[in-house]
Amino acid sequence: MPGAKSIRWYYLLPLLLLPALALAAPVTAHGSNISYTIGPAVALVAQFDNGEPMAGAQVTIYAPDDPVNPWMTGTCDAEGRFTFMPDPDRPGNWEVQVRQSGHGDIVVIPVGAGMATAAGMGEGVARYAPVMQPVGGVGGYTPLQLLVMGASVVWGCVGTALFFINRK
Amino acid sequence: MATWRVHLVGLTLLTALLLSGCGNTPTAAPPVSSEVGTGTLEFRANGEDFVRQGFVTSDGWAISFDHLYVTPANLTAYQSDPPFDADAGGMPQAAVQVSLEKPTTVDLAAGDAQADPILVGAVEAAAGRYNALAWELVRAADGPADGAVILMEGRAAKDDVMLPFRISLDGERAYVCGDFVGDERKGILQAGETADLEATFHFDHLFGDGSAPPDADINRGALGFEPFAALAQDGMVDVDMSALQAGLSAEDYAKLTEMHLAHVGEGHCQNTSES
Repeated sequence: MPGAKSIRWYYLLPLLLLPALALAAPVTAHGSNISYTIGPAVALVAQFDNGEPMAGAQVTIYAPDDPVNPWMTGTCDAEGRFTFMPDPDRPGNWEVQVRQSGHGDIVVIPVGAGMATAAGMGEGVARYAPVMQPVGGVGGYTPLQLLVMGASVVWGCVGTALFFINRK
Repeated sequence: MATWRVHLVGLTLLTALLLSGCGNTPTAAPPVSSEVGTGTLEFRANGEDFVRQGFVTSDGWAISFDHLYVTPANLTAYQSDPPFDADAGGMPQAAVQVSLEKPTTVDLAAGDAQADPILVGAVEAAAGRYNALAWELVRAADGPADGAVILMEGRAAKDDVMLPFRISLDGERAYVCGDFVGDERKGILQAGETADLEATFHFDHLFGDGSAPPDADINRGALGFEPFAALAQDGMVDVDMSALQAGLSAEDYAKLTEMHLAHVGEGHCQNTSES
């Protein structure tokens, strides 16, 4: 196989850049995290980045058709939890702002039209987004990054195969 | 030799492809739509009460600022759909965005203790909901802060000691942030009206907050003022990055260079210059 010896190692060099791709993932500062689950109601859990609950944090909820005036206000409990039932007749992005001690965050919860029925909120569960998804691709990576990472893995496998074939 | 060339080209192309995926460059702004009407979108910078009114640091120094210069540039407002989450990374996906590109040096300490956030500039923009903001902090090209990315001038007092200070920080930065988090909503622009967006700077992250417990998160990561006070000469702290690198401990200097001051109200931003 002419030229096979020259393939031995340097085609694997791009794989060394994979850790750099990992480092290219977004760098975020300290702050707060708000997660939520959907059941008969929306259940929020607000925590600081260090895992401490945002006990007593201010909660302000805005309905989709009025992003200026709060639809509801309240406070988290000692575990940073807060539960509410969005008005099913107001479909769209419900915004929930949670603030405490100079830290805060907003989550956007999409609610589908006609969620509530005579059977209750349960039938509308599937129309909620169960988790917040990163913007711009899977895991926060751009489509180009995903494509290149996939190509690098394939290229690395080919290079490795050629390396061992050449040793025989 | 020919085989080497082929391999070299392949290797170069792959490397270039890999590196090209690392950037987070905002896309060019589409033209302002006239269908929804336009209004005026103001970009403001805010050092909050910590800068306007002064505060006590985590190590007990009472700080007041005479001037605090920063130079925002390339301020870009996005109508992001879906709403942008800075913690998730990436960049806003926006059909409409507007920018104020020109670097403008502003003094966050200007005005009295109740002054409004400082106006950086305004642009005509399509009406709509601007729910994400990106900006850069660049070195001032002229004026009182010439050469500095952040220039802090003021006084620090503790016990019977009073130290004037002039602290010049280097290191340009770029940030991208989601919606403003605070007492009011921002960036909701109606046709024919004016709305604003705010780049907020939390200097308590640098000096700590004496009103918070010593073990509070805000104070664990802060330098306080004592490390700067230790660099005083002839009764004044007058330092730039070279002096800080030489005078601060390695740990404190690392904290300083990694300090994350940028917010949108209380909402956090992503430092894209570290990506």
